[in-house]
Amino acid sequence: MKVRFWGTRGSLPVAATASTIREKVVAGVLAASGRTFADPDEAAAFVDTELDFVTRGGFGGATSCVEIEAGDGNFIICDMGSGLREFGLDAMRRVVGGHPRRYHFFLSHLHWDHIMGFPFFVPAFDPETIIVIHAGHTDAETALRRQMKEISFPVPFDWLRAKIEFVTLPTGVAHQIGGISVTLLEQHHSHLSYGYRFDVVGRSVVYSTDSEHRSDTMDSEDKFEAFFAGADLVICDTMYSLGDSVSLKQDWGHSSSLVAIDLCRLATAKCLALFHHEPTYSDVQIAAVTAEAIQYEHLTRGAAAAVQVICAYDGLEVDV
Amino acid sequence: MAWTATKQEGALLGRQQGRVDESNWETFSADLVAAITAAAASGLPFVVDLAGVPYMSSRGLRALSTGLATAKKADVAMRLAAPGEAMREILAISRYDKLFEVYDTVHAACADAAR
Repeated sequence: MKVRFWGTRGSLPVAATASTIREKVVAGVLAASGRTFADPDEAAAFVDTELDFVTRGGFGGATSCVEIEAGDGNFIICDMGSGLREFGLDAMRRVVGGHPRRYHFFLSHLHWDHIMGFPFFVPAFDPETIIVIHAGHTDAETALRRQMKEISFPVPFDWLRAKIEFVTLPTGVAHQIGGISVTLLEQHHSHLSYGYRFDVVGRSVVYSTDSEHRSDTMDSEDKFEAFFAGADLVICDTMYSLGDSVSLKQDWGHSSSLVAIDLCRLATAKCLALFHHEPTYSDVQIAAVTAEAIQYEHLTRGAAAAVQVICAYDGLEVDV
Repeated sequence: MAWTATKQEGALLGRQQGRVDESNWETFSADLVAAITAAAASGLPFVVDLAGVPYMSSRGLRALSTGLATAKKADVAMRLAAPGEAMREILAISRYDKLFEVYDTVHAACADAAR
């Protein structure tokens, strides 16, 4: 399995401003002081090996969209955030190279930041494309059609030329879709959200975003431990600090890296990807909270197996 | 016993020994509520001595913040005292040091709480 992150930001797409890019260039120039480079390759090697991630790149600002490459070769995509636009363009390039034109989408929920990329999904305008949209919600079609009504968007849903099908998936059973076993878990979020677990030939990936783990339901968190059990990669909404999630931002529907780390440890999951980053955070802040999450995992590990903590960013690929 | 509660320096002092995690957060939470109830009945502030806690997982921390909400409703001032290095780091990482007043020593917490 391979997991590609096309959008990792929470709630609202963000873009680097001119001043942010200037700061990165200044830091890079300072790091290169006194150095000369014979050609672009040598300069690129310096950037890749000697500059830190925040200076040479960044976490990106597109909202939730994650591709899972596995199963029978059809496209598997979790959520349709603004990252879907870039995925769609890349998918069209792969289709030209012979990739099947069937897309299986799995929607965590129907909030704006998780569906806003669909009107810009170029393959939806291709009459040879088949799109199957899976959701735990029964009103997924309503949400996708509504955002393309005239009051919000110039191109109506019915102008899309792909064959589009909606499938509601119940929880509690394994669904065989695209050569993958898919199970759903209901999560606490406004209008509900669903986590997805994808299993194929001894490998497993969990996508669990927009899931609030409330203080008054801690006694039922064992259902998440079971859902994450033994997973090779768990992608979790870790938008807030734990302190914010239990105070100012309680009932806003999101969670923290600390809860995600604890659940992964109890589930003996191997790797946690921090996801759905707070849109107000700079690259420096996301890097800092990632370092803190790694330190928390170390401080609280005890005798348990280590959970590898990574931070998802737009463009990250993880081999599972 | 992991938990003891005594009156000391004008405050009700709760002392936890050992880590708080998924194995014991429910007992810890019940101990906190009982101590807060006792503090309210006595008109005393409540101080949690963390010196004996090597670390706390998110469930222990959430038990603490649930206790803080209970204390606020009961009009009881709740403070944290004497966290060790790891526990202090966890309070900072979780931003619980923004939710709670954290004191270096039990004496400082009790003195300030009783003021």
